[in-house]
Amino acid sequence: MRKPITPMKPRVSQYGVDPKYVKKRMAEYPGMTSVMLKDLFPDTPDVIYPSEKGISAVREAARKALEKVDMSMIKPGDSVNVCASHHGFTLLGGEPYAELLKVVRDVITERTGTENIRLRAGVGLRFRETEEYIKAFGLDKHYKGKAKGVAPVDEGIPIETEIGTLYGIKAIYDADWIVHVHNSDVREVHFHRQVDRAVKPFGMSYARIETRSTYHQNLGPRGANFTARAIFASDFVQSKFAFTAFLEMSPVGVVSVDADNDLYALNDRLTVSGCKYYGKIMTLFGEIDECIVGLDFPCPVPYVFAAGVIYANFAGANVDLFDLDRPLPPYTWYTEAFYGKDGRPLIDNVPPVNPAIKMVVHNYAWGGYPSAFFSEHVPTIVVGREQADLLNRDPQNLDYMKHAVIADDLDTAMKYAYKVSGTDKVIIFDGAVGGVNVSESLAKLLQEKAPQVSEKVDKELLPKWLRQRGIDPETIK
Amino acid sequence: MRVVTMLAKVDEEKCIGCKICQKVCPPLAIEVVNKVSRVDAEKCRGCGNCNQRCPENAVTMVKRETPIRVYVDPATVSREKIEELCEKARMNPEQIVCYCTATRAEEVAAAIIKGADTPEKISLETGVRTGCKVECIQPVLRLLEAAGIEPERPEGYQWYGRTPTIWEIPEEVKQKYSQRGFYFDEDIKLLNEVAKLKAEKEAR
Repeated sequence: MRKPITPMKPRVSQYGVDPKYVKKRMAEYPGMTSVMLKDLFPDTPDVIYPSEKGISAVREAARKALEKVDMSMIKPGDSVNVCASHHGFTLLGGEPYAELLKVVRDVITERTGTENIRLRAGVGLRFRETEEYIKAFGLDKHYKGKAKGVAPVDEGIPIETEIGTLYGIKAIYDADWIVHVHNSDVREVHFHRQVDRAVKPFGMSYARIETRSTYHQNLGPRGANFTARAIFASDFVQSKFAFTAFLEMSPVGVVSVDADNDLYALNDRLTVSGCKYYGKIMTLFGEIDECIVGLDFPCPVPYVFAAGVIYANFAGANVDLFDLDRPLPPYTWYTEAFYGKDGRPLIDNVPPVNPAIKMVVHNYAWGGYPSAFFSEHVPTIVVGREQADLLNRDPQNLDYMKHAVIADDLDTAMKYAYKVSGTDKVIIFDGAVGGVNVSESLAKLLQEKAPQVSEKVDKELLPKWLRQRGIDPETIK
Repeated sequence: MRVVTMLAKVDEEKCIGCKICQKVCPPLAIEVVNKVSRVDAEKCRGCGNCNQRCPENAVTMVKRETPIRVYVDPATVSREKIEELCEKARMNPEQIVCYCTATRAEEVAAAIIKGADTPEKISLETGVRTGCKVECIQPVLRLLEAAGIEPERPEGYQWYGRTPTIWEIPEEVKQKYSQRGFYFDEDIKLLNEVAKLKAEKEAR
């Protein structure tokens, strides 16, 4: 059996415990091994990062992709806001996304002559998160002091759209031009359902609370991401939009950099690659019959990664999240809203949280995102009093520890999890790159199931997913 | 229901009186007086917006000696009125409207019936908008509108206005995007099913 892959290091952040409290990683626990995605799915794409070329591969790909982009609308002296999101910094340690942001600035200056280029980095629900990344990756220096994090509670501006008034963050749009720099990691499939994935930040990290609340409360589980389309399509945003640049991601790393003046064209390309690259591993995760889940990554509970898939999606892996015929995933905020006071769903046909998850060992994950739903639905052991205290102080996680128990250390937690759950299958969400850290028993199951999953996705599921999104499957052959 | 365990504390040496904390405080617990931010401990709901947006990092969140519990018991107002309000707002009384505090529509409705006529008062009395501070403004505004209340915006960025709901999306927009993966009519059916279920649920 392979050795476990080195997990992503803990990160110093106000949203997580001091890394000194992460005394042992789950991948170090006896009996853990790893499975590479290329071995599970031979058609896994080759990547430019990580690779022998290091970060220069991203730099070169970004420069090449930007060559085809028209920047003639930007005149010397014009102001340009390069708009970014926290999410990119959670991928592969954050360096590839930071590099793309640096190259975008450099190329705009070289091609247009303007120096008035600002980085505006939006966030999720941790309002200073991108401030931390800006400092950690030297983006403040690279943007010559013109880099700042923006939050959904900052001053807003109304944006007239074809469905009515929505609201953006004023600082995102306070320039002559905006450039949208993002990535194609599918991440929250439970929310956006891989519909207009590339457009999403316009309704989320670039948006005010009113718009984000519209997404999660007013439009329904399959209409939600239309808020992003409505804002991006508005005359106001169109009058400022210059171009877009994306890290094209797969579960094993950066496949390429894509850039375009037409966000919708790029969106269509990434809709296909997202379904194709992530569909197989997500479907395979749905084949896991029972397991203990380990959370061990510097992100809030739902956003910890295994094989490029976030835990929130594993919590819904018992249903096909890409299938738009299914209205509610097992976890989404609409689903959470529809549980009544007695703990039962208000309507029929609400799928349960993935019943294969027998227990969660929360070895290392942040606060800063409402996560009590997870500990309420799955038995959870939190390692270390410091993490429990952190969650109890967090206004977004007032109830998380009401449903969880505390273990003094990882060994105690694992011993308890094995005993109570009755399974020896373990999957670790620790950001391991290129594969997934699992127990030997789970590695065996994944290897057995992968070929049939691969065939099912290629022949049956992928064509259906694409048709549901208005894309002819024949065009990708 | 919200148990408030934290309290904002301002370092007066660092505070520059910029008023950003005041402009982002959901229950209006902060006022800048003589260029120094003052926190009303009784009103502070421990959300941390001030701490997260202060440009000088002058605000820290400290543990309260005695936690405050805020809750409006729906049983203290007419059930009929709660249901009427929720129905107008197209919500099930039991549906959760604030994911951080697990506050349900019926509690917000009860607060409104008891006289809370602004999002700020509702936050103060129920704790909604004091967790993530992002996701629950629309249900609050929809329930106020259902009660015939048009709240006046405070001086700040606390909120700007109610936004469209799925029921208001024009037919031509639905048609235009029907092949793009947006299932508007199907989601309307789902949300209507949730909203109209109260009688059956009670009988269960």
